[in-house]
Amino acid sequence: MHSRPLWRLTVHVLLFLAALVVVVPFVWIVLTAFKERNEVFSLIPQWLPAHPTLKNFWGVLDAMPFWRYYWNTLVVAFGILGVQLVTITLAAYAFARMEFWGRDLLFILLLVQLMIAPQSTVIQNYLTLTSLGLLDTRLAIMAPYLASAFGTFLLRQTFKGIPKELEEAASLDGCGGLRFLVYVAIPLAVPGYLAFALVSLTYHWNEFFWPLVITETSKARTLTLGLGIFAQTAEGSADWTMLMAATLMVVAVPLLLFLVFQRRFINSFMQSGLGG
Amino acid sequence: MNRMAEPKFPASVVTATRVVGARERVRSRRRVMALARPYLYILPTFFFLFIFTHYPILKTFYLSLFKWNLATPKREFVGLNNYLQAGSTPLFWQVLQNNVLYAVGTIPISIALALGLALLINQKIRGLAIYRAALFYPTIIPMAAAAMIWLWILTPSYGLVNFYGKALGLPDIHWLGHSRFALWALVLVGVWKRLGHYMVIFLAGLQVIPEHLYEAAILEGASPWQRFWRITFPLLSPTTFFVAIMAVIDSFQVIDQVYLMTQGGPGNNTNLFIFYIYQNAFRFFDMGYASAVSGILFLILLGLTVLAFGILQRRVHYA
Repeated sequence: MHSRPLWRLTVHVLLFLAALVVVVPFVWIVLTAFKERNEVFSLIPQWLPAHPTLKNFWGVLDAMPFWRYYWNTLVVAFGILGVQLVTITLAAYAFARMEFWGRDLLFILLLVQLMIAPQSTVIQNYLTLTSLGLLDTRLAIMAPYLASAFGTFLLRQTFKGIPKELEEAASLDGCGGLRFLVYVAIPLAVPGYLAFALVSLTYHWNEFFWPLVITETSKARTLTLGLGIFAQTAEGSADWTMLMAATLMVVAVPLLLFLVFQRRFINSFMQSGLGG
Repeated sequence: MNRMAEPKFPASVVTATRVVGARERVRSRRRVMALARPYLYILPTFFFLFIFTHYPILKTFYLSLFKWNLATPKREFVGLNNYLQAGSTPLFWQVLQNNVLYAVGTIPISIALALGLALLINQKIRGLAIYRAALFYPTIIPMAAAAMIWLWILTPSYGLVNFYGKALGLPDIHWLGHSRFALWALVLVGVWKRLGHYMVIFLAGLQVIPEHLYEAAILEGASPWQRFWRITFPLLSPTTFFVAIMAVIDSFQVIDQVYLMTQGGPGNNTNLFIFYIYQNAFRFFDMGYASAVSGILFLILLGLTVLAFGILQRRVHYA
């Protein structure tokens, strides 16, 4: 549209400044994590660590059950996704390609999940899961998310786009019903699944409040919750370098994955906006 | 007496009828299956949906009619008392006000910045991917991590903000402990965290505006300013509206940053809805009252969503 060099320069300058403001806090955290404990208590901030050290990272591993939190997070995030993939596939397929009595009403009842804040049901879900004896388990962290209105909605759009003729042709070739779903519909919906998977994994990797409510010990706790609890202990709150090292360890892997698969992540979140 | 002989069918006919009957049965079983299939497909979803979404909503309203706390461990029906209690509690109104301030503080800034950045990113320039990644990454890190980052940056004396603030002649401020600034510090973190997400939603909106409209406008001699206000902005209005509603809803769901950065303080200046519910339910164990506040939050968000869909369908232009 615009080709004047001055305009181009302006765009670059503005974007550079905005990016700088967003990125600097993170750079500061990375540099802090490699500093020695008392180095940060200087009234004139030193950007670069004087004696770069890994001590803080080892300290984190001693101060909290980091690997247990990591394992719990992996189990919770991938466990939720695994069950969701089954529930949303079946429901989306039914809503997209089948006629049945009450379909529209049931679809609205499904969308209720998108319209409410999950936090407003926290009390009752806490009571339900406690009465099932699931307090302080990974299953309890996963339970409220095993059905996904967003995922169902997203896949339904994809399944709706498959032409009727394709289904008829497949049916004549003996590839009807469930087989059509498995061999034709699901492969065609791979981009939709990918978008959903990235949003779901990110959301549950990052979640803090629900695990806070439903766990009581480090047995089932996830990474972000572990980080938050560490920050409120005497050790964590007094030692900025160790706290920043812990923060860095929590975000490192997802952030690297984001940098590598940037486009995919961003496209997924674009759709999450359109679907939500 | 003419006794009718029992009709005797040849064996082959009997077999045939049996076969037809069996076929009939198979067919009707198939018909039942065909009728039941969609319900079987949606069953897993609705099983979880009912237990963890529908039932909790209904039960929350039910529980909100009871007095149920440490002093009254056995539930006692009190009608709308919990709602009246909320209405007459100054703290409830302060929490509501805090939340409205948070939303009002976030929305115009977020929308203006996200839209502006989306317009810039939408230009065909070099280094686009780097800018986009730099602006978007806070979306994918946990709010808990963002809270840690900003706790350190906003900390008094040694924090980055205070250092450069002092260089500009500002006093050393304990941003998160100051009754005037704490809520705005949370707003700042919220904008920083969500800006990238709103930006890519605007970007998606921009990319569906047909290029030929701009080409025609350029032929007509429209300035960039006119093109923005006559083409981009009106055609983007559903997106803008959508982002605004999303930002309001996000504001009413804020909890992680309150819990980790201020615990609602100082003096309840940053106590927002979900934190207030959390305090009442899990610290004061006043489940009845907490349920009533949850119910109120539920109605506020439902109202906003319904309003959003209503306006979206009626008023906004669609390309």
